Amino acid sequence: MSILANSAQYMASVPGRDNTPERETFRKFFDCWLSQQNQHLDDLITASTHYQQNTTTHSTPLEDDETLLRSLIHRVIHHYEDYYRAKSTWAKHDVLAMLCPSWRSSLEDAFLWIGGWRPTMAFHLLYSKSGLQLEDRLADLICGLSTGDLADLSPTQLAQADELQRRTVREEKELTGKLAKQQERVADSSMVELSHIATELIRSGQTSQNAAGGGGLEDGRVESTLAPKEEGLEEVLARADDLRLRTLKAVIEILTPIQAVHFLIAAAELHQRLHEWGKQRDAKQNGAAGGTDQTL
Amino acid sequence: MAEIETSSPCVPSSRAARRRRMEIRQFKYVAGVDTSSDSENGRKRQKIDGYTASSSRDCENAVANCYSDGERHRLDTENGKSETKKITISNEFLIQPISAQSPIRSTLKVEPEVFNEIPKFGVASVCGRRRDMEDAVAIHPSLCRKEDGGTAKLHYYGVYDGHGCSHVAMKCRDRLHELVKEELENHESSMEWKNAMERSFSRMDKEVIGWNETVVGANCRCELQTPDCDAVGSTAVVAVVTPNKIIVANCGDSRAVLCRNGKAVPLSSDHKPDRPDELLRIQAAGGRVIYWEGPRVLGVLAMSRAIGDNYLKPFVSCEPEVTITDRTAEDDCLILASDGLWDVVSNEMACVVARTCLRDKAGADPSSSPGSDVAGYNSDKACSDASMLLTKLALAKHSTDNISVVVVDLRRDT
Repeated sequence: MSILANSAQYMASVPGRDNTPERETFRKFFDCWLSQQNQHLDDLITASTHYQQNTTTHSTPLEDDETLLRSLIHRVIHHYEDYYRAKSTWAKHDVLAMLCPSWRSSLEDAFLWIGGWRPTMAFHLLYSKSGLQLEDRLADLICGLSTGDLADLSPTQLAQADELQRRTVREEKELTGKLAKQQERVADSSMVELSHIATELIRSGQTSQNAAGGGGLEDGRVESTLAPKEEGLEEVLARADDLRLRTLKAVIEILTPIQAVHFLIAAAELHQRLHEWGKQRDAKQNGAAGGTDQTL
Repeated sequence: MAEIETSSPCVPSSRAARRRRMEIRQFKYVAGVDTSSDSENGRKRQKIDGYTASSSRDCENAVANCYSDGERHRLDTENGKSETKKITISNEFLIQPISAQSPIRSTLKVEPEVFNEIPKFGVASVCGRRRDMEDAVAIHPSLCRKEDGGTAKLHYYGVYDGHGCSHVAMKCRDRLHELVKEELENHESSMEWKNAMERSFSRMDKEVIGWNETVVGANCRCELQTPDCDAVGSTAVVAVVTPNKIIVANCGDSRAVLCRNGKAVPLSSDHKPDRPDELLRIQAAGGRVIYWEGPRVLGVLAMSRAIGDNYLKPFVSCEPEVTITDRTAEDDCLILASDGLWDVVSNEMACVVARTCLRDKAGADPSSSPGSDVAGYNSDKACSDASMLLTKLALAKHSTDNISVVVVDLRRDT
């Protein structure tokens, strides 16, 4: 509970008002959020085990169980919503930090799409988890027995997931196109002109030393030229985050409560472990780099 | 227009047969009118996007629903802005007359005795782990009647796996059965199966290439890049099931497998560039097979026959291989699928799964009884479950392609 309060506190703090750099506060928020996710993961696993036990003893799921699962799912989804709300607040102040998040490991970073997980990854996660559960219970399924988990995806559910996947691919492609447009603006006339002027100033020696920092004369102009680019990026990021959250919710809506629990478990496990492995690898890399530095 | 050919001479064997044939002819005339205005053909030939439709109900129900006019209308409005339709299921004999005063109304009436076999089938078709859906499926129960020892009706099942883009596969889904129907009705002899199929595939290929040159598809991702779309094609595996026979025509690497007494009997042989006879054919035509992530024709296409792919002609041929198989009492089911299934699930495995599904469900599941159907047809629950389970199995076995599976129940009395 204390952790919950903590993360809320970070969220409430207006970024950039105190002396802490914005990236640092978001990093703290993210760490809190991760440990909360880990707690939710525990809850989800406990709930699924409990549910499994109840269904084997009662043969049909108890209504109470379903209600409990639903409220747990609601809580977990709310937690994801918190994350995106915080992210969008911070993005308004520092979109660049959100697009190359220093709180992520380089392993996670390599798989990011517009500053977060790729929305269509949700379907691969669903199919992979469903596949693993299906292989476990294939004999039962062939005989028409119900397994209750993701192996049990009904024709309707699979059709809905398929439809959602196609829609998500379309939206993802659209956003990728929009990002391309924004990125191409880095070489528009205003940028090329400004970089030329700045270079000429350096060459003529007018601004000598402080030219490296952009030059006192040009500081305002640099900011005003970059600002619309950052705004464009911020909009793309906001839409990407919106698609991520919408996709997550839509997948959950297709699933039964217990299936949703299995899906959320798989999502949290992948997220947590990827982060952990990435951190370990980064630490090893840095350690190795430090070591060579010392020997030199 | 192609439909005019239906007035070609035929030799009626009896008055009844002639009357029946005339019915078909009039019917086809209407079909011609309707297909020319594709979006307004609600009453005559129905296309349903199985997956949009099924968002509110089970797949098999969506399929079954296309036989009820009320439902159909509802689904149509739901699909108002229909995007990529992947599955076509039609049933011409169940469709209501064009209008109350239509002179051909009486000829459209279906006499109960012609329902000599109710086809049971199930279909599943998903994008899977691919970003683009290039598979298409077409199912046409009672495609037409043919003199085959009586008034037998022929049921048509087709799976098309597109490459390059989806539009050739979609074109096949929309047209190939019509071409097959025309060819069958124009050439009455039952010895003509091979020729009829070859002509249908060849005409399909020409249509696709001709169409590429004139029309640009509306929701087609290749249109911006290559307006003539020469580098687009599709496999086609087509099964026509009669009371006594299964005719399979195949072009490409989709596959039809018969499950007979639990054993897998392949009814088609994949057209891979390294199949010895195919390799010889390609080389004889002056082409080469180059290994680039597997054998490929000219290092490009990983199959040796396909519809479309104009730029690889004549090395890539559109000529189908046709097999004609007598049905036996031991036949369980027929499985048609794209390589999204066959790449990861063996013929034997697929047969075991499908057969067990059909056998266990038949007795246990009252919902598969024909009581719930509309006008004599019923997309079978057991078949749907079988096709769905095979699809999920392919996903479980890490299939990275689109997956389309059709399961047809061939058991005589269940």
